[in-house]
Amino acid sequence: MSTAGMAQIAEPVAVIQAHRRRPRRAAIVSSGLWYVVLITVAVITVFPFFWMLMTSLKGPGDPVYSIPPQFIPTDPSLGAYQRVLAALPIPTYFLNSLIVAVSVGALNVLVAAMAAYPLAKMRFFGRDAIFYALLATLIVPAQLTYIPSFVLSVNVFHYYNTLAALIFPNLVSAFNIFLLRQAFRSVPNDLIDAARVDGAGEWRIWWSILLPIVRPSLAAVAIFTFVTSWNDFLWPSLMLHTKDGLTLPVGLAALQSFFQSDFRSIAAGVTITVVPILLFFILVQRYFVKGLAGAVKG
Amino acid sequence: MTRKRSITPYTFLLPALVVLGIFVVYPIIAVIYYSFTDYDIATPPVWVGLDNYTKLLGDETFRLALVHSFVYLLVTPILIFLSIVLAIVVNRRMRGIHIFRALYFVPAVSGSIAIGLAWKWLFDRNGLINSVLLSWNIIDTPIQWLATPALVLPIAMLLTTWAGVGFYSVIFLAGLQNIPEELYDAALIDGCTNFQKHRYVSLPGLRPQIVFVTVISSLAALKVFDEIYVLTNRTGGILDSGVTMVFYLWKEAFQLNNAGYASAIAIALLAITLVFSIFNVRILESREEGVA
Repeated sequence: MSTAGMAQIAEPVAVIQAHRRRPRRAAIVSSGLWYVVLITVAVITVFPFFWMLMTSLKGPGDPVYSIPPQFIPTDPSLGAYQRVLAALPIPTYFLNSLIVAVSVGALNVLVAAMAAYPLAKMRFFGRDAIFYALLATLIVPAQLTYIPSFVLSVNVFHYYNTLAALIFPNLVSAFNIFLLRQAFRSVPNDLIDAARVDGAGEWRIWWSILLPIVRPSLAAVAIFTFVTSWNDFLWPSLMLHTKDGLTLPVGLAALQSFFQSDFRSIAAGVTITVVPILLFFILVQRYFVKGLAGAVKG
Repeated sequence: MTRKRSITPYTFLLPALVVLGIFVVYPIIAVIYYSFTDYDIATPPVWVGLDNYTKLLGDETFRLALVHSFVYLLVTPILIFLSIVLAIVVNRRMRGIHIFRALYFVPAVSGSIAIGLAWKWLFDRNGLINSVLLSWNIIDTPIQWLATPALVLPIAMLLTTWAGVGFYSVIFLAGLQNIPEELYDAALIDGCTNFQKHRYVSLPGLRPQIVFVTVISSLAALKVFDEIYVLTNRTGGILDSGVTMVFYLWKEAFQLNNAGYASAIAIALLAITLVFSIFNVRILESREEGVA
């Protein structure tokens, strides 16, 4: 290669290198500015929660409304928490939410992983028709089905006012089937064929070859479904009406009508319900983000 | 691939198909039937023909709900814009960047009732927003934010946007990280400014994510309920100022016991969702051809 050619290449490389290694001071100033942006967004995001927490901790001597506003309680008290816990069985709601969300999460993984296997790796009559029918169910707003589902719950399944009413209609979502179908498709066919030659049945292949390989996707589906179910409100509010039978979001809505304008107590109720799901999120954040990112690739 | 004539694939599919059959397919058929009846859930439905639909056409609240649901769709482009900007901001190696990314996700996992109550408290007559505005002398009397018909929907939309930006930006961030570094280098050599770099490299590279978020967030906007329920204290707001399609459906079916009429609303919602989805797919597909 001629020297002229080298120079032509060297110039763009220099541009890139100059861009990547900026002088130190400029780098510090620019990263300082980025931190300002990042922190500003963080404050906007977190502030309503911070305000809730502070309001919930205000004692009798602290005004919840004043001009200018008082942010930090000077007379902190846990009184609001005591009132909330005395008025409503929050631990029971927590347990109810946990039972429903764990069941729905686990069963979704099972049922969706089963359905995804033939759709990803088998050839059979009606496969495409079934696939497109599943696709179509994604468009249907869930709320549209609530009237007939309500009638079914009272007249046919008799699970009105029980937690089963929250579990059975949500056993599987087409979205989860797609996610896992996508994951199964990335498993090499050779692996499955080799197992077949060795005499493994389809169930065996599914259980001992496919499921272990796609474990991260299974985790993502489980976690997503768990959080969605945990936060679900409209359907649970239609189904649950006994004082001890509510889930946390329904209980929280009940709390709002119970305490009316006692903002300290409402704030305490919100704080109590938000903390567990946030802790859960911190624990599983990695899977959450990966699953969300992976969902869009297909 | 397995033998062609075998029941195995169907046994794998069976549980999912049974569940979706009972809880999605059957309800659609049933709701179509109910929409032609007078039905209060407690007593058997009575056939009334097209009565519910003719009532729907003259129903002022329904018209309002329709308008509100379409206005709510404005959330989608705003969310996409802000989420892409946020994704670009957090797409760099900096100390503590993971903590910021996690923080931005907090509203998305906290639950709509909890964040709705938090916002209701901010916008209360005796809430923080009034308190701050009064102490800065920007206003002299407290504003009744959620009791002002023109403000209910915008506040709910702001809440949806606030809660969604962190969530959707994670999707865009993953998309950005899949764009090859060389493309940015090439843009740099061509003398692109920072803005041009994102306009001509990031934006086309994010196409699949933009499609996905458009579909997901617009379907979510058409179904909005929880935010309205909490912010308006389950009333739908003064003069129905916050009533959306799903809110109206819920109110007619489960508060006023007009399940037949509510079913007609549900069918209207389904029709709009279908038309909208086809429209969405068409537009996004034609754009894809344009780019290719």
